[in-house]
Amino acid sequence: MGSLGLAWLLNQDNLLADPTKPELERRTFDLAPRPPVHKPQATAMISMFMQGGPSQVDLFDPKPELRRRHLQDYIGDIHYDAVGQASTKLFSGPWKFSKRGECGMELSDLLPQLGQIADDICLIRSMHTGISGHEPSIRAMNTGRFVQGRPSLGSWMVYALGSENQDLPAFMVLRDPTGTPVLSVENWQNAWLPSIFQGTVVRPQEPRIANLEAPASLRGATQQRLLSYLQGINRNHLERHPGEHDLAARMQSYDMAARMQVAAKEALDISQETAWTHKFYGIDDSVTRDYGTRCLIARRLIERGVRFVQIFSGNQHWDHHSGIVKSLPDVCRKTDKPAAALVMDLKRRGLLDTTLVHWGGEMGRLPVIQNEKNIGRDHNGRGFSMWLAGGGLKAGYVHGATDEVGHKAVEDVVNHYDYHATLLYLFGLDPQQVSFTRANGSSSLLDDQPGQVVAPILQRPPQLS
Amino acid sequence: MQSLPRLFLVGVLCLAASTGTYAEETRPLRFETDVRPILKAHCWQCHGEEKDVKGGFDARLARFLLKGGESGPAIVPGKHAESLLYKRVVSGEMPPGNKQISARETSTLARWIDSGAATVRPEPETLTARDTFTEEERRHWSFQPIHRPTLPHVEQPGRVRTPVDTFLLSRLESQGLSFGVEADKRKLIRRLYFNLTGLPPAPATVETFVAADFPDAHERLVDALLASPRYGERWGRHWLDVTGYADSDGYTGADVVRKWAYKYRDYVIRSFNSDKPWTEFLVEQLAGDELLTPPYQDLTPAEADRLIATGFLRMGPDGTGGANGDQNVARNQVIAETIKIISTSLLGLSVGCAQCHPHRYDPITHADYYRMRALLEPAYDWKEWRAPNARLVSQWPQDVRQRAAAVDKELQDISQQRSDELDALVRETLAQELAKLPTELQLRAKAARETPAERRSDEQQTLLEEYPFLRISRDTIQQFVPDQVSMITKKWDERTAAAKKKRPADDNVMCLNEVPGQVSPTMLFARGDFNQPRQEIGPGELSVLAPTGFTIPRNDPQLPTTGRRLTYARHLTSGQHPLVARVLVNRFWMHHFGHGLVATPADFGMRSEGPTHPALLDWIAADFMRGGWELKRFHRNIVTAAAYRQVSTRRGELEAIDPDNLLLGRMPVRRLEAETLRDSLLALAGRLSSKMYGDPVPVSPDVSGQGIILSVNRFNSAGQVVRGPTDLGEEVVRRTVYIQVRRSMPLGMLELFDLPAMTPNCERRPSSTVAPQALLMMNNPFVVRVTRAFAARVQRTAGADPVAQFQLAWRSAFGRPPSDREVRNGLKFLNEQANAVRAAPGRSKTGSPDPVLAALAHLCQALLSSNAFLYVD
Repeated sequence: MGSLGLAWLLNQDNLLADPTKPELERRTFDLAPRPPVHKPQATAMISMFMQGGPSQVDLFDPKPELRRRHLQDYIGDIHYDAVGQASTKLFSGPWKFSKRGECGMELSDLLPQLGQIADDICLIRSMHTGISGHEPSIRAMNTGRFVQGRPSLGSWMVYALGSENQDLPAFMVLRDPTGTPVLSVENWQNAWLPSIFQGTVVRPQEPRIANLEAPASLRGATQQRLLSYLQGINRNHLERHPGEHDLAARMQSYDMAARMQVAAKEALDISQETAWTHKFYGIDDSVTRDYGTRCLIARRLIERGVRFVQIFSGNQHWDHHSGIVKSLPDVCRKTDKPAAALVMDLKRRGLLDTTLVHWGGEMGRLPVIQNEKNIGRDHNGRGFSMWLAGGGLKAGYVHGATDEVGHKAVEDVVNHYDYHATLLYLFGLDPQQVSFTRANGSSSLLDDQPGQVVAPILQRPPQLS
Repeated sequence: MQSLPRLFLVGVLCLAASTGTYAEETRPLRFETDVRPILKAHCWQCHGEEKDVKGGFDARLARFLLKGGESGPAIVPGKHAESLLYKRVVSGEMPPGNKQISARETSTLARWIDSGAATVRPEPETLTARDTFTEEERRHWSFQPIHRPTLPHVEQPGRVRTPVDTFLLSRLESQGLSFGVEADKRKLIRRLYFNLTGLPPAPATVETFVAADFPDAHERLVDALLASPRYGERWGRHWLDVTGYADSDGYTGADVVRKWAYKYRDYVIRSFNSDKPWTEFLVEQLAGDELLTPPYQDLTPAEADRLIATGFLRMGPDGTGGANGDQNVARNQVIAETIKIISTSLLGLSVGCAQCHPHRYDPITHADYYRMRALLEPAYDWKEWRAPNARLVSQWPQDVRQRAAAVDKELQDISQQRSDELDALVRETLAQELAKLPTELQLRAKAARETPAERRSDEQQTLLEEYPFLRISRDTIQQFVPDQVSMITKKWDERTAAAKKKRPADDNVMCLNEVPGQVSPTMLFARGDFNQPRQEIGPGELSVLAPTGFTIPRNDPQLPTTGRRLTYARHLTSGQHPLVARVLVNRFWMHHFGHGLVATPADFGMRSEGPTHPALLDWIAADFMRGGWELKRFHRNIVTAAAYRQVSTRRGELEAIDPDNLLLGRMPVRRLEAETLRDSLLALAGRLSSKMYGDPVPVSPDVSGQGIILSVNRFNSAGQVVRGPTDLGEEVVRRTVYIQVRRSMPLGMLELFDLPAMTPNCERRPSSTVAPQALLMMNNPFVVRVTRAFAARVQRTAGADPVAQFQLAWRSAFGRPPSDREVRNGLKFLNEQANAVRAAPGRSKTGSPDPVLAALAHLCQALLSSNAFLYVD
């Protein structure tokens, strides 16, 4: 760390500056790329956030014991969530698991395309948040804690690292056409981090970003002059409001917007991709069209240096309280091919080494039946699966295990804060150090939780010193 | 802009952390305050709450910990390492399933055991109903009666304008701080206009206010703004957020339109404008129907308002009108959402957790939730459900009802006459056809037709098949005498249409009411599951809040309804309720100062941070009630205060101590909300309609894919848009509060500026700053149109002089005159831009805009896109 950095740090603690005259100006923030503290293994991330709670025992975590005890009563503690119709009857879904790839990873036949990339992914079967409501679980996975009002994962990433592309927002969110996810803007909020670090939503239909096209009367130099005049007014205004970082963020948003008129249009224009690529992502098929389009857009954004892209599934697509036998295959059909295509495409382009791909929800589902009339499964935050790929993770690797019926994570448990610590580590950051000072002290993504880097899943785990 | 590394040295962080917890560590630990919350959250579900406690171990009292369970005592006071409780937790054995107990919590357990496992007070032998909650829970600040505290001492009484200032100032002074200086009058009038009406002041109004040298100019301006109908449109909108107002049902993809919801919106705006006391306002919304007698006909406007007011309880998403999905789930969801709206808006508590089990953090029992549900059950009876349309109540007055009845009678007559004529034609045609048959066959054929089908002989059956005319009827006669039939059809169709035209238009109220005499029991649902009903629960207040002896009648014999909601509403507004007034005034405060005294307006529970100024919160709550629950009086107290009138500038000494401005040593700088932005743009363009109330301005997807716009689209049977938007005329320039709120179709520009999604309601809006907002201000056709209209208006008003034009545009947008330098910069821009427009290639002599006006429009757009306009300081 340079002397400038050190001075700044000391200043943070009021060790250098005159305590009666803190610098108001220090609170200016930008998206310039910032070097991490050690060599990063990942430089960008695409998170496919599968809200609702994908059923791990039907997708990722085969349980012969569950099959054997199908429809028997489960004797043991079950942590039901709020939702009713709970029973103690074990249920083994009608789907088969097969060994996939050279690694022989067992995956459900519901995800045939994922099977194609089994050798590229790292499957965690021991995820754990300990809570089973959607909202707190989503907050845990996306903001680090169960409580409201904390910055999202993407905001932390771009706060810590800035962006490689100054013409596109550093943190972009691809929303589902069927609606906003549960918790809506909380999923990509900056909370008490400066506003410049919040996620920018890409609309689920065209126009993906509204108002990208300047009216005929305002193109080119005409608009440039307008904006330059506008920023002049804004600069004078900011001088009269020192330290008001939202005003500075809005000024930056105009600069960004001007560049986005060209850059975003280009980045979001998937017609530049070949017919083969469209087909590869399933854009030619009405079932996979939407998700395929968004996965392809995510790749195009990452390719252009966007730091963090999060693709949201619709409100509760994976929340199968009833009718799981029909609806789980439905949502798998929509997402399986595009998700696998994304990983293969990134790999083909040499981007997978530095791009961390995440596929997972806020929890999993119980091994027992909910609603015997129309079988479903209740929430389960005590043991669930998700997969990661690229960005320094081991490939073709399975980590952790749940108990014999897939209810609770029992082996190599990965808590949400362990997951976050691992992400930050892979990006070259020290999980304990990425923090932000507020009036009442500093706060971080881990926020005093005992997050541990999950070393066994890493190609190059941290060296003990 | 300069970039700095933002990573901390570990040492710095550790230092901060240890300082922060120092006080906590030295305080003696007690079971009730420190340990019980941990055990309650992690252990009680198995060790206390359920009938069979696991391992015979109940963890709800320190005495029980000492006693322990089947494995022996859970704690050995003074020796945490020997305590089973600690050992099981630390080994990860308990709680089972890797449920997390944080290191901090584990350390608290250990330190409490080591310090002797003390309690605050002696514990009872066994737990009774009374012991459901601890003293700490009962004593939680927000559950205590509201007393009006005395005003604190301040060092600088000269800085005090209203009582609220004393609380704020005394707190600031205790930190060696004070208020900022008073803002200049131009800032103040802009602040007041946006805050109270959601619109900018006209330049002439600003100048009048600045010139007014009488001492109470500020107060007089406040009175004028509060008297403006624009006030209700602005502040009514805040309440509509909390109630989850929407013009559609949500829940399903169809998102069915609620045609009559707007009457509730109008009721809210009217009530704000007339300053209806909140006692009355709340009673009407919770139980307006119980103040009336069914069948709610021939109501006076005041009576009708009571019925409309219950729309409050109908605002949640309601998927029971559709055929899709599980009806029972949908019905119970309506009730759950309504309880959420009531509890978050009025109680500042999220009671939802208690639907399935005791609330994990707040003292709300499982039964408490069902007590609240029982308030609603007679109206929301999930087993005798009424779909949204079946809940509509017609408001036709008697003469209209009679007219409608007459039309209905006429329609019935028309139908009868049409049938009679067709029957006559059938008889005539049959006779004619029969006459064509040989005479001897005629009688047999007639008999065959007249014999009922089941008694027909084979011969008769053959006859019918041979002569199809024998089966002739009203339905088939068309095939025999088409011309005559179409004449008859045409004639009666015309008469039907004419009669239908006379039928008066529907006029309904979307309300909540009970079905007299129908009172179903409310059952407690185990784990919230309606398939697992347990014991019956009567209506009541949350037990931690219920005053001694307070009951809600199951069915009040004095009323045609049960009286449950009415009793509850009167209890909430009695002046004795600890939460209602606090929650209301905190929210009002938030809309004046950007954040509430309690930061979480919908959570006043054990986990909330509590008020920054407890005495102030109580004072304003008590004063609100003492002043007759009148909101305008409350506003006057706030917006004439020194705190409200100070500048927004950050100062070094404030930043060092209070960077989040919790102490209010300055006014916050706040961005315009979505509605305020759109309304203000229209107002500056001189286009804003002052039309109030009525049907919402419809929204639809744009045919060309530009998102959601103000329009009515035509759809074909497949649901595709087949024709462009209908011209809505002046409707498109109405205030935003009158725009239809389709849950699935937020208007493009409003969505970008954080219009909340009503799922089911919005407790506090976020305020984002993202590039798509900048793109909207740069390129959106609406923005371009209104800035052009603004420019044309400036040109008309200011005349041809560019300096005068610039001055007026600047004053209109910012409420202050430009400096000389700003004038020079502006004129330079106008000049360059006009030249550029003039020189633009492809520009024709005719048909292109006047370059001077075009440049002025660009100037106006820059002003309205700037922070000086988009923020109120």
